[in-house]
Amino acid sequence: MKRRVAAVLALAAAPLLLGACGTAVDKPAPPSNTATQADVKNVAEITAGSTFNDTDVMFLQMLIDNLEQGQEMARTAAKRATRPQVAELAKAVQVTQADEIKLMKSWLAEWDKPATLDERISLHADHGGMPSTGDKEIASLTTVKKAQFETAFLNLFLAHQHNAVEFAQLELDKGGNELARSFAERVKQSRTDQVQQMLKLLAG
Amino acid sequence: MRRKIAYPLATLGMVASSLAVASSPALAHGYVSSPPSRQAQCAAGAVANCGAIQFEPQSAEAPKGSKQCNGGVAAFPELNNDSLPWRATNVGKSATFNWVLTARHRTATWVYYVDGNPIATFDDKNAIPSATVSHTVDLSRFSGRKTVLAVWNIGDTPMAFYNCVDVNIGGSGGGSATPTAPPATAAPTTPPATTPTTAPTTAPTTAAPTATAAPTGTVPATGTAWAPGVAYKINDVVTYEGVSYKCRQAHQSIRSWEPGIWTLALWLPL
Repeated sequence: MKRRVAAVLALAAAPLLLGACGTAVDKPAPPSNTATQADVKNVAEITAGSTFNDTDVMFLQMLIDNLEQGQEMARTAAKRATRPQVAELAKAVQVTQADEIKLMKSWLAEWDKPATLDERISLHADHGGMPSTGDKEIASLTTVKKAQFETAFLNLFLAHQHNAVEFAQLELDKGGNELARSFAERVKQSRTDQVQQMLKLLAG
Repeated sequence: MRRKIAYPLATLGMVASSLAVASSPALAHGYVSSPPSRQAQCAAGAVANCGAIQFEPQSAEAPKGSKQCNGGVAAFPELNNDSLPWRATNVGKSATFNWVLTARHRTATWVYYVDGNPIATFDDKNAIPSATVSHTVDLSRFSGRKTVLAVWNIGDTPMAFYNCVDVNIGGSGGGSATPTAPPATAAPTTPPATTPTTAPTTAPTTAAPTATAAPTGTVPATGTAWAPGVAYKINDVVTYEGVSYKCRQAHQSIRSWEPGIWTLALWLPL
């Protein structure tokens, strides 16, 4: 209970801390040498630090949801894709995103925040749009004919990764935690480059 | 007592932030991915000097009724520029247009134009689009290079999404045009610096995938410098910032997938 109160107070105080961001309240550790980095065997060892705001929390929660859906799509693609390049991309996405999920969940645990979203749809309902990839769309990948699979997967997964870029941009605009923001930059880069690969695969 | 007050305040904070979330990416909703529209070619890096649209190909949104490639969005003038090296995809008597939808809106119609005239309309009767959206459009009345304007008219807003798709109708049997050279990717940024001090635990378990044929460039078995845009195979060795790594999952390298603590699932430090 004590911990929970502390978290709530921290959240209430977040705007104040955010205002003080320029004074390097939560500066990450100085650059590590690569030998030390090479010793790290698990991303969950990376800690985020105690300064964060509600955008940081929401970004991680939304992206975990996005990635868990993505794991399902990528798993299906690894099995059903016709071209090895598509299956390979799906597998590489799967293993890298599995680590990202671990990382984000450990940060939310560190902040004493839940790792799940209350409602996926309500985030988008206000402006009339449904999410690009709901359960129905993801399920369709298991039933679509083999000949149409890659086109269906690539178009759905393109939208999915564009959504991740949108979440990352939100974090870059409004997030407070420096490590979460640099993670968002990585997400933006990796998804943007995956989009490039997928568009080329679609264009044949 | 104070605790009870703190909770609602925190909750209000969350609500406010979720509204902000909802409004911020609201302009980004969809585009034609194949045959590649102009914005898809920008996002793919196939055409350079595209401006802002390359980062958000789904955002050419404007009021209904425009006949311009950018729908009249001043931020995306490149889409209207016919002198940029747009690739025209060879198509036969018809073409199938595939859409990426980053948010599913109730849809009035999907309309395709050539030379300013509507040539095909698909009426969705205000339904939410299905999982995948593709339309096969008859182009047999035309031949040679044409720019098809594809418009997604939203059902519950005054807005539409605009795409120009350059095609070469009747051009050599519907295959693709010669692919352009892969674009230069920006140099990877250095990973964010963190120095976790706890002892390493067990390595992440990833099932060893079976190697597939590498589609493009090959890599010597002994460490060359890591680079983006390379098809790495399992057991390829690279060096990055003075450390050697072995590839544990075949992949085409991209920015932010450089070897390091964030990508241990792809690269095993040696």
